[in-house]
Amino acid sequence: MSPIDPRLQEALDGERDPGELAADLGEAYARLIAATQLLSATPRLSVAARVMAEIRQNPAQAQTGGPLRRSIRWLGRPITVRLRPAWTLALAAGLAAVLLLPFERGGPTPGVTQGVAKFVGHFPGARSVEVVGSFNDWSRGALALNDDDHDGIWHADAVLPAGQHEYMFVVDGERWVPDPLAGRFVDDGFGEGQQNSLLIVRPAAAQP
Amino acid sequence: MRVRLALALVLAATPLTAQNGNPRLAGRVPPAALAAIDSIIATAVAESLPTEPLVQKALEGGAKGIPVARLVNGVRHGLVQLRDARAIVSRSAPARAALDGDVAAVAAALARGLDPGLIERLLSADSEPPGPVLHAAADLVAHRFPADSAAELLRAAQQQGLHGTRLLDVAVAASHELQREGGRTPTEALARVRAMLPNIPVATPPHPRTVTRRPGRGS
Repeated sequence: MSPIDPRLQEALDGERDPGELAADLGEAYARLIAATQLLSATPRLSVAARVMAEIRQNPAQAQTGGPLRRSIRWLGRPITVRLRPAWTLALAAGLAAVLLLPFERGGPTPGVTQGVAKFVGHFPGARSVEVVGSFNDWSRGALALNDDDHDGIWHADAVLPAGQHEYMFVVDGERWVPDPLAGRFVDDGFGEGQQNSLLIVRPAAAQP
Repeated sequence: MRVRLALALVLAATPLTAQNGNPRLAGRVPPAALAAIDSIIATAVAESLPTEPLVQKALEGGAKGIPVARLVNGVRHGLVQLRDARAIVSRSAPARAALDGDVAAVAAALARGLDPGLIERLLSADSEPPGPVLHAAADLVAHRFPADSAAELLRAAQQQGLHGTRLLDVAVAASHELQREGGRTPTEALARVRAMLPNIPVATPPHPRTVTRRPGRGS
């Protein structure tokens, strides 16, 4: 900050006659006095007063009518929404996740011509148990049973077509075992007297 | 010349084999059994019999590693049962064409050991899909209830408005009555269930927590 000339300071303080100042100092004095007057002046109208005055001059655009009319006008008024592309993509991804990701409903949900089959078996010490049957074309690895608490009781729920299904448990990937809880058995027809378990799935519509 | 002729025959036969073979069986059934099984399935198609039970039997045999001869015999036995089943369905309802589902259900009942005469009687008495009533009858017979009495009970249940898989509940209720403490004879158990009609409780599958830890075939 450059120091002010002492003569100019004296003139501003009223201790010197401004007319005695040199021409350049006189000019600076005049500018400073004008700036002081501008700063000390009160604005003629505040911003709020000017807005209200504008509204009074245009009564047609003023907020006339009840809350319902104002709401209807607000709904009909076009608005501009500005979104950053990154936010738009994030929003779309969020919506897709809500719509597409499965919810936990406490078990599988069957269709009208399907039902829920519950498979339970007691196989202590088994490393793996799976169900293989006519509902999965006797394919291995399609439906595994779980024993989360390691108590030897393996179980699984599955949505299957309603009707009759033959099946067996496969324990540790090699031992074929009928389900002792099935209650229904049928000879497998291969001539050694082996039996498949028989499951009859009720359609969901017929279940209580 | 002979080599060329043999080559031509092989080339001509290959596409036919590929067309006739069931694609679901490829890689799932021993190659040595494939031709015989395809032939059995082709016979079923020619006789307008359902083929899915035969495909399933072949897939089952392949998955279980059944030797080829027994596997083929098992599928052939399935074909015989389907023929018998279609004959039963035709006799019980001569006026209408035998549906594949009905034939397969009757074949399954035959596989469970149900008497053909009993099957025919049950089919004649009811126009619904026969699967549930046949399984209910097979369940009762498996629990040593007399076949005729079992059929009468199921007929009574149908007359009281129980149909479809609800008939399975009738069989479950009868077996529960048979196992009640103090013991009942089959006749007493059937009479008791008949008195309960149509208020037969719906049978529920076992819950994991209710499984009894007892030594069994798989335990």
